[in-house]
Amino acid sequence: MMQTTIGRRGALLGAAAAVSTFAIGGRAFAQTAPVVFGALPPLTGAGGPYGPAMLRAMQGVVEAANSAGGIKGRQIRLAFEDDQTNPDAGVRGARKLIDVDRVQALMGTWASSVTTAVAPLCWENRVPLFTVSGADSITLLPHQGHIFRTQPNSRLQIETATKWLLGKGARRVFHMAAQSPFAQSSQDVMTEVMRAGGGAVSGYVVYERDKTAFRSEVDTIMRSRSDTVMLNGYLPDVTILLRELYRAGFDGRRFTFAYAAPASVFGTLPNEVTNGLTTFQPSPDLNSPAFTRLKAAFGSTEVDPYSAQVHDHATMAILAAAQGGDATGTVIRDNVRKICQGDGEKVDNVTDGLRLIAAGRAVNFEGASGPCEFDERGDIRGTKFRYEVAEGGAYRVLELV
Amino acid sequence: MIQDWRDLAQVLLNGVMAGSVLMLPAIGFNCIFAVLRYPNFAIAGFATTGAFAGWVANAVYGWPVGLALPLAFLVAGLVALLAEEAAFRPLRPAGPLTVAIASVAMTLLIENILRFSFGNDLRGYDLPILRDWRFDGIRINPQQLQNTGYAIVAAGGLFLLLGFSRLGRAMRAVADNPVLADIKGVDPNRIARVAVFIGGGLAGCGGMLVGIDTSIDPLTGFRVVLSVFAAAVVGGLGSIPGAALGAMVVGVGEEMAGLVLSPAYRTVTAFLAILLVLMFRPQGILGGRN
Amino acid sequence: MDAYLIAMLVFAGFYALMALGLNVIWGLTGMVNLGLVGFFALGAYASALLTTKLFWPMPLGWAAGAVVAAAAGAIMALIVARLRGDYLAIVTLGFAEVIRLTASNEIWLTNGTDGISGIPGPWRGDVSPPEFNLIYLGIVWTAVAVVFVLLARLSHSPFGRVLRAIREDEDVAAVAGKPVLWFKVRAFTIGAAVLGGAGALYAHYNAYIAPDGFAPLLTIYIVLALTAGGVGAMRGAIIGALFVIALLESTRFLSAIIPGVSPVQKAALREGAIALSLILLLRFRPQGLIPEKTRTKATP
Repeated sequence: MMQTTIGRRGALLGAAAAVSTFAIGGRAFAQTAPVVFGALPPLTGAGGPYGPAMLRAMQGVVEAANSAGGIKGRQIRLAFEDDQTNPDAGVRGARKLIDVDRVQALMGTWASSVTTAVAPLCWENRVPLFTVSGADSITLLPHQGHIFRTQPNSRLQIETATKWLLGKGARRVFHMAAQSPFAQSSQDVMTEVMRAGGGAVSGYVVYERDKTAFRSEVDTIMRSRSDTVMLNGYLPDVTILLRELYRAGFDGRRFTFAYAAPASVFGTLPNEVTNGLTTFQPSPDLNSPAFTRLKAAFGSTEVDPYSAQVHDHATMAILAAAQGGDATGTVIRDNVRKICQGDGEKVDNVTDGLRLIAAGRAVNFEGASGPCEFDERGDIRGTKFRYEVAEGGAYRVLELV
Repeated sequence: MIQDWRDLAQVLLNGVMAGSVLMLPAIGFNCIFAVLRYPNFAIAGFATTGAFAGWVANAVYGWPVGLALPLAFLVAGLVALLAEEAAFRPLRPAGPLTVAIASVAMTLLIENILRFSFGNDLRGYDLPILRDWRFDGIRINPQQLQNTGYAIVAAGGLFLLLGFSRLGRAMRAVADNPVLADIKGVDPNRIARVAVFIGGGLAGCGGMLVGIDTSIDPLTGFRVVLSVFAAAVVGGLGSIPGAALGAMVVGVGEEMAGLVLSPAYRTVTAFLAILLVLMFRPQGILGGRN
Repeated sequence: MDAYLIAMLVFAGFYALMALGLNVIWGLTGMVNLGLVGFFALGAYASALLTTKLFWPMPLGWAAGAVVAAAAGAIMALIVARLRGDYLAIVTLGFAEVIRLTASNEIWLTNGTDGISGIPGPWRGDVSPPEFNLIYLGIVWTAVAVVFVLLARLSHSPFGRVLRAIREDEDVAAVAGKPVLWFKVRAFTIGAAVLGGAGALYAHYNAYIAPDGFAPLLTIYIVLALTAGGVGAMRGAIIGALFVIALLESTRFLSAIIPGVSPVQKAALREGAIALSLILLLRFRPQGLIPEKTRTKATP
């Protein structure tokens, strides 16, 4: 019995501690009353290789905006939670950000499952959600304009990429896809486009992402006598596949999404393996000063596509709030399209954008991930794609179309 | 899919290569099980530890694989020993399942200690990547062959130790009958420590071999661990030759997955192998006692 | 803040149901189930599919979720119940992974990794989101109460005593003339039914399920809940679930105020703290916060 009472007291103390930490969080909010935005990147789990850089990119934008005076003089705070690449943890994290931190916008969700799980919380609470998730179904949700997706939908991406490959002479493309929400839709689009262009999808394998050996899968690629292989996966598995393809002596074109082989791949694979790897990603205009300035802003680290996109998420949310004159979710939602499409002056960073808006000028934000123009569903449109080839441990831009 | 015997031979060969990577952690798992009679799920954490220890030696300090591998053994063995003494030993009286559950938590703890120290970035060993050799259309990779060699040497070392040394005889005695061994003057606690050190060390070597063949992050051990358990069960819990054989069965089975089901179901084949074995030979292929 | 606390209490309800289900299997009967998230997923998918595709009413969907999970539990128990506990641990671990992979790959049925969205919830849309939360809080904790009462009675019935006897010493129970296998299968089935029912309720609260959500981490949380509360005691399962949610959520606020560590390191500290607390609890308070009263020795 004695032990029981101690146990209960311990539990009560624990609960009290928990409550008091809640209280601290609440008070801090009340005193300074900054505008709060929420970030929900994956810091653990399968998205772990991507989340930390994404968070840094968002924090960078917020810092820049704060040194530029914030939103109408109000400082900005970026609250973040780890979604653990798991919709269950993601929902609890989003609850905390929305209900406790009272965030006015949520950004940087990565896994499609997490985005779909937290989306209803966002539109119920009138919080716009900026995401990099790839599943086409996300923008089909009844979100009343609250979702902005900077990752082009798979139809647009795969159609563009397949046409580009056809133009480069690809006739037999092997589709190697990690099991994901867009594996099958990618396959459908690829088959259609290849057939129309006089080629064929020479093989289609869906593999398990969390595995460490893919030799038999690579044998299937080798047997298919393909001139191109499309690696539709993520960094850990694509790294292994590139290594296996090199070992097997695959001499065709290796083509993948830039997020599956960001510049960090040069640190894990020797150059002879990566040389010739072609990647593509949505991109801003290369000749604009914006792009060079952006690269400089990111310093020596190459900008990976997800970081570029969340950089734009944070910038758009801040500029939209400034434009609307009020940092509430609804105002941000209604003003995103005003600051990133139209005839306004082109800006590529939050500092210039805030200055111009303060001066009463119209702006048209063109971000690190592209022109950031959204259709009525919240999907990105009219973006160009940048094709790059790996050479000697760095990417060289092939073209932008 | 299969067009001639070469394709089948290729799949079998791929399976053996994949299995040889699973072999060491599976042997480590069974080594601990044989003496301590609980499934140590922290083997995944020990494998990741070994992978990182080997990586630091190789990629940071430039050690060759031949030197880094013993270091991976040593570090993972010591971590396993520490985990055993600090966390698992006091739980042993509460029964094997309590220890098993603590070992699940230990894997999560080790994963996050490594994440705290190294971050999530993928890291590759500093080794050139060699092209496959081809024999009559069948391809084999010299590096993977070398890894298989390392695995066989490590496993062979354990067999020699168990078969021909005093320590090995004592270990087998404790595994067979701890009470009798105690009467005969073998200190079961000392033997337990040796078994845990060797088991953890072998898992660490296995983790490093996975790392050489792929790249490493805090989830490295987690990615192979289900296959490792399958190998241990298929071979027979507690049987060391069983673990080696089970690893080959699971390795080949997973590579065959693409032919039978779909490559997306690799892990499912490992699980089916477990179920089949348990239904027809519950003690495992080479397991004697149950 | 209120909305957040209510939502977390709803989650605690799901965790409490799962811990109760696990308690029948592990706490009473002494069989380990490291694949409980697989049964939870089965219940969630069964109910989500039946209500969205065949338009079954929700209560029927919830019942179906429990039945499907129970059937899977019965089959699994028949195959593995005669094996030693360590085999069971591995097989159940693999089972959960198989469920997750099947849900990811059988797109025709489960919509694959895209998951199933738009799962109906009671009066969702007719009431405001905070009201919906309150309604669900009532539903979940009513379910917890009902299951608790039923299981507590079961636990003190002759059936429950046999289960405990099996847990303490299977051979003795067999010698006493009890059909051990049959009792084990029944216990496993009951536990799986509760897990499946919890999954069904969860699906209709979240409105969305996907294979990613049924990761092994959830199993660890529930095992932690039961260990913290006290293995064997039904009240312990509920206290433990509340404890786990408090731990999961308070570490958010605690890690936010730790200076000098990067966000990844904070995330690592959070997950590490969960693991460490499970190890420490097993070590220093194996009987949990609410020890089982009828228990003869403090071994789970």
